[in-house]
Amino acid sequence: MKLVTYRIDSQERIGAVDGAGRLIDLHRAYAHYLDDVRRSPSPETLAAVVLGKDITEFLNRGKDALSAAHTAVAHAEKSPKGAFVENQRVRLLAPVPRPGALISAGKNFSDHVSEMSSKKGPGNPVAFLKLPGSVIGPEDEIPYPPEVKNLDYEVELAVIIGKPCVNVSVDDAMTYVAGYSAFNDISARDVIRGENRSGIHLMGKSFPGFAPMGPYLVTADEIAYPQHLKLSLRVNGEIRQDSNLSYMIFKIRDMIAYWSQMGLNPGDVLTTGTPRGVAAGRKPDQTPWWLKPGDLVEAEVEDIGRLRNRIVAE
Amino acid sequence: MKLYLGLLESSLPDQARIFGEIDGKLVDLNLAYAAYLAQTQGYTANAYELAAFYFPQTITAFLERGMPAKNALDQAVAFARRSGVTELRGPAGERIAYDAKDIRLLPPLLNPEKSFVIGFSDRTRTEAIPKGEIPTGFYKLPQTFITDGAPVVWPRFSQELDADGCLAIVIGKPGQRIAPAKAWEHVAGVALMIDITARDINQREGETNNNLLGKNFPSSTCFGPAMVLDLSRKEFEETEVELSLDGAVQQRFALRDCVFSVEQIITHWSILGIKPGDWLAIGASMARQGDRLQNPVPLKIGSTIRCSSRPLGALTHRVVTDGGISR
Repeated sequence: MKLVTYRIDSQERIGAVDGAGRLIDLHRAYAHYLDDVRRSPSPETLAAVVLGKDITEFLNRGKDALSAAHTAVAHAEKSPKGAFVENQRVRLLAPVPRPGALISAGKNFSDHVSEMSSKKGPGNPVAFLKLPGSVIGPEDEIPYPPEVKNLDYEVELAVIIGKPCVNVSVDDAMTYVAGYSAFNDISARDVIRGENRSGIHLMGKSFPGFAPMGPYLVTADEIAYPQHLKLSLRVNGEIRQDSNLSYMIFKIRDMIAYWSQMGLNPGDVLTTGTPRGVAAGRKPDQTPWWLKPGDLVEAEVEDIGRLRNRIVAE
Repeated sequence: MKLYLGLLESSLPDQARIFGEIDGKLVDLNLAYAAYLAQTQGYTANAYELAAFYFPQTITAFLERGMPAKNALDQAVAFARRSGVTELRGPAGERIAYDAKDIRLLPPLLNPEKSFVIGFSDRTRTEAIPKGEIPTGFYKLPQTFITDGAPVVWPRFSQELDADGCLAIVIGKPGQRIAPAKAWEHVAGVALMIDITARDINQREGETNNNLLGKNFPSSTCFGPAMVLDLSRKEFEETEVELSLDGAVQQRFALRDCVFSVEQIITHWSILGIKPGDWLAIGASMARQGDRLQNPVPLKIGSTIRCSSRPLGALTHRVVTDGGISR
């Protein structure tokens, strides 16, 4: 199932996108089902209890909410009754607009490690926190901050956690995944360099809009081999990154097991690192590849989805 | 004024209430304000609704209400003092004043968007290594927060835990790219914080300029017990914070020991935008031990850490195992 979070008439809603690309309002569709089939009193209220009010609550409800969502979609296909939403009236948000924690892997593709001139790959998974507040939707604009000179992109896979997860084993790790999304780890390289000189970096990865995610949360049951998906990134149509998740140093299951030591919760997001082809790695001159206002950045993960974000002067 | 966030014994987890410390009691400010409106302002029908607007279920939302909520607080407090806190009752006779032991305290700011600790900022440390050009910081995830009395649980992955007493500057007014001259206008108050670090992990993560697992695990951020409003700038600057381990003072510091000014810190981090309920903390001393810098307060299972300050109160935490290790 492809789950989305969207905004319509200044309300935030959760929905599902069906095989024909149509958007179904999950609360409305499930309330219709409760009314038509189960003859429930107060179907809207009960639907809100079963599904939760947003995607984080939905994920916290686990497989009960997911099976209700399947029921809702099946019912809407049979008996539409206003459960479908006109796509033109909707703005898609990130499928998880407010992750509890957004953990982004660094140095996780050997070709990227060597283009960034790091000595060797790390012995343990390396990651940093991006501020959850920097998350934006799949078609939103990325503001170009006036403080930044070297703006860069990094296509990544986002793994969305579906169950509370503490000290889990590598073998069990994949059972904690709710689903996947496409992600672009926007990075201000000059700001990061400045921060690293004085201490550790945080700001350079977390300006407003530096974490586009979406368009869907594709549930884990739909992706048989998540570790073998292609990922690519284009700027104004020109291909910059083109690789495969099979080249990850620490695999998805290794990352979940390792970061579960800090305690992960439903709605937390791990992004799995970027392959070679970032602007900072261009030889000999990086200048032509830094992002500029007006650029269109498209980050895509095979079978998961594509982000289309334009850089705009702030 | 010390503001607390807490649950009554019968409350569900999402029914937190804001309490103010008045004459040694914790006073339910929502009900105190409703009583003020009903008894002195002639409100009958909507006293509860108005009180719920100014004193919602989080201190962050209270701060977002701005000056009108601050005025409501002043009125509620003055009314409670006049009436005598122990005699005070809500509009329908509800209990308003509690002893601290009757309230289950929560971290006063539950879910800030920015909860940063400014790194490498104390004078002792910068005598040993060059001072940073900018006040860099690291992020403490809200899911790691605990407050006074809750145990610090030793994580299985670390052999070396230590504690740093900190002073968190709490933001009250939103802004972005704030000029130094305006910085103090955005400060609502201050709270105590203890930054628990898994030092062995932190050292390893530092090799790649990262700071994640070593700083973010359950119970690695002790915050509270209160969020203290209304300190004057002078009082704030003079506030002394002490961190003690099993009764012996290990760290003592004040704002003046930070190599960055409040203006510099707010100006820098407001580049990203800051909101009510966000906080920026400065930490205490580090010392050179052997060939490396180390915080002087290493912990052991069974240790009691106490971070205290006369105007701010105290955080007390015992270090426990999670049952899976022996050390």
